[in-house]
Amino acid sequence: MKWRRLRTLMRREALATFRSPFTVSVLISVPLAALLIFGFVLSTEVKGLALGVFDADNSSASRRLVAELVAKETFIEKRYDTRGDLQLALVAGEISVGLVIPPGFDRDASGRGNTSPPQIQILYDGAEAPLAGNAEGFIRSLIARNVEVHRAPGADNSASRPISVVTRALFNPTLDGKPFMVAGTFGFVLSFLTVLLTAVSIVNEKITGTFEQLQVTPASGLEILLGKILPLGAIFTLDVVLMVLVAGFVLDVWPAGSAIFFVAVSAFYVQVSLALGVIISATSATAAEAVQKSVMFSIPLVQLSGFLFPIRNMPTLVQWIAEIFPATHYIRVTRAIYMRGDGPVALAPELGLLILFGVSLMVFALTRIEARA
Amino acid sequence: MSTAIIRAVGLTKRFGDFTAVDDLTIEVEAGTIFAFLGANGSGKSTTIRMLIGLLQPTGGSIEVDGIDVIHHARRVRDHIGYMGQKVSLYQGLSLRENVEFYAGLHGLEGQALTSRWSELSERFELRQAETEKAEDLPAGIRQRAGLALSTLHQPRVLFLDEPTAGVDIRNRGLFWELIQEEADSEVTVFVTTHFLEEVDYCDHVAFIDAGRLIADASPAELRQRYSEGYQVDLEAGPDDSAIIEPLAARTEQIDGGVRAWFPSLTPEVLGRLEVLSRERGVRASITQAPMTHVFRQLLMQAREAS
Repeated sequence: MKWRRLRTLMRREALATFRSPFTVSVLISVPLAALLIFGFVLSTEVKGLALGVFDADNSSASRRLVAELVAKETFIEKRYDTRGDLQLALVAGEISVGLVIPPGFDRDASGRGNTSPPQIQILYDGAEAPLAGNAEGFIRSLIARNVEVHRAPGADNSASRPISVVTRALFNPTLDGKPFMVAGTFGFVLSFLTVLLTAVSIVNEKITGTFEQLQVTPASGLEILLGKILPLGAIFTLDVVLMVLVAGFVLDVWPAGSAIFFVAVSAFYVQVSLALGVIISATSATAAEAVQKSVMFSIPLVQLSGFLFPIRNMPTLVQWIAEIFPATHYIRVTRAIYMRGDGPVALAPELGLLILFGVSLMVFALTRIEARA
Repeated sequence: MSTAIIRAVGLTKRFGDFTAVDDLTIEVEAGTIFAFLGANGSGKSTTIRMLIGLLQPTGGSIEVDGIDVIHHARRVRDHIGYMGQKVSLYQGLSLRENVEFYAGLHGLEGQALTSRWSELSERFELRQAETEKAEDLPAGIRQRAGLALSTLHQPRVLFLDEPTAGVDIRNRGLFWELIQEEADSEVTVFVTTHFLEEVDYCDHVAFIDAGRLIADASPAELRQRYSEGYQVDLEAGPDDSAIIEPLAARTEQIDGGVRAWFPSLTPEVLGRLEVLSRERGVRASITQAPMTHVFRQLLMQAREAS
């Protein structure tokens, strides 16, 4: 590989990108529009959710728990006399989340006698999985914060036990909708745009004949690949910085962890995703085919990457399929940095997988570029 | 000893059950213009793509300028220039920026590039168009720019795939003059075309039909083999005609004279025509058999034989 040739390839790619008003407007407007839409409009913040309650204990402790849950206008309480009625209401869409308080809750919560830990059950509305997941997280955090309230006055601390919440999944326990959506939006926007722009860019070159011309110059496949993805990667990294700033100043959502680490990880992920675009392009005969493939890629990206729908709520087989999308791992990383403030050590397994995806996709993209039919 | 700069032996390309090129063997002498002709879908472009290393043959061997193209496709790229059916200029970039891009890929920069491009832009009449965006260039200029770019790094072999498609007659003529100038400076030119009259600009012609080579000779030899050769119309009386008729393959009477056909214009034929013209004042007009006729005959015979 020769640096001069690579520099020539990169310069042309950057010039072509910046001189296309459409590309520039897409690069700026799509990330920001997505950020604002997903941040403001599609926030999964829990407010005014219909909470169905079946209180089989009907004790002061259970009534206090429900009162606290509805006190902050997060939930609107709807009481049901039987568990069956509660489930019917869930299925009918009358409520988003169901709370079942079993008999003996008060006794178990206060730690009187030799009993099992106090337990409540949360039932999800599958159609509102993200919101229900958030609701569950909210209930958990509320219970954790207010466990003292449920102890009987003067009860022995060692005798009292934390309330056990039985649900299918725990999701977004902080229950803050904006960081969750903002962090996920990076994954969605970067995955979709990088693939779309690269796929169209190379296939257009194939149609106009410049790609064939490039293949008969001394430029190697690696130089052509890097000449394509490095400048685009740099442009998308600027996009990431822009998105971080807009999310911070407009939505007041800043990464809880290192912003530099976040940008560095994103810059690497962009290269991974661009390589995927190169593969789509190199295996497409027309721009229409490349766009169709990009769109087909974006559907599972939204549905299976965990961007909107919690992966843990999916059937096991689908969960395994979700794991093969690099976006799934990147979105986990972005949320971990934005919401938990995780660093490289905590994220090593996910980063390792992203590197594995990156190397595999680059090698495959290279073989496609160098392929002689 | 052969001075072939392009040598393909038993070249075959199959796409599934379809054989696009079938056991093709050709040799191209250095410094010549080699025309590769055939109808649409006959295998011309497939062949040229294999010769420049863009397509992996199913069988056979290819050597260009002494390099095994099948096993060392990248190594040959500094030795060849290529101009595809679509002139490969990047839209959005000016002609000058396109030049700098392709030159950069061949390691041509700074003063060396300035000097080389100055020479080419003068010769190819591109100076006025340097600052124009590629998409704004007229077809003729685009075509000349494409040729200039393919010769930028001074390759030893030029591969041109239907370079004059979509170009008007005046620009086609100008374009062929430039191709001949390249050949004069010892560049070997391998060119495909479907304009049969352009064959007369070339030193050697190969015809391909349904992937098989059906002829490989000079234009004159092909005319000799697949037509009655040269048609000579003489404004002459019977006595005058008698001087030339014994050498003709066939003659017939026409208004005011005689029409004779000669397989080739040998010195003896030319000598007698000169005698008729100079000593007896006989006017003669000589017409070559059109290449379309040659190609038709060639195809007919090839298909009858197969």
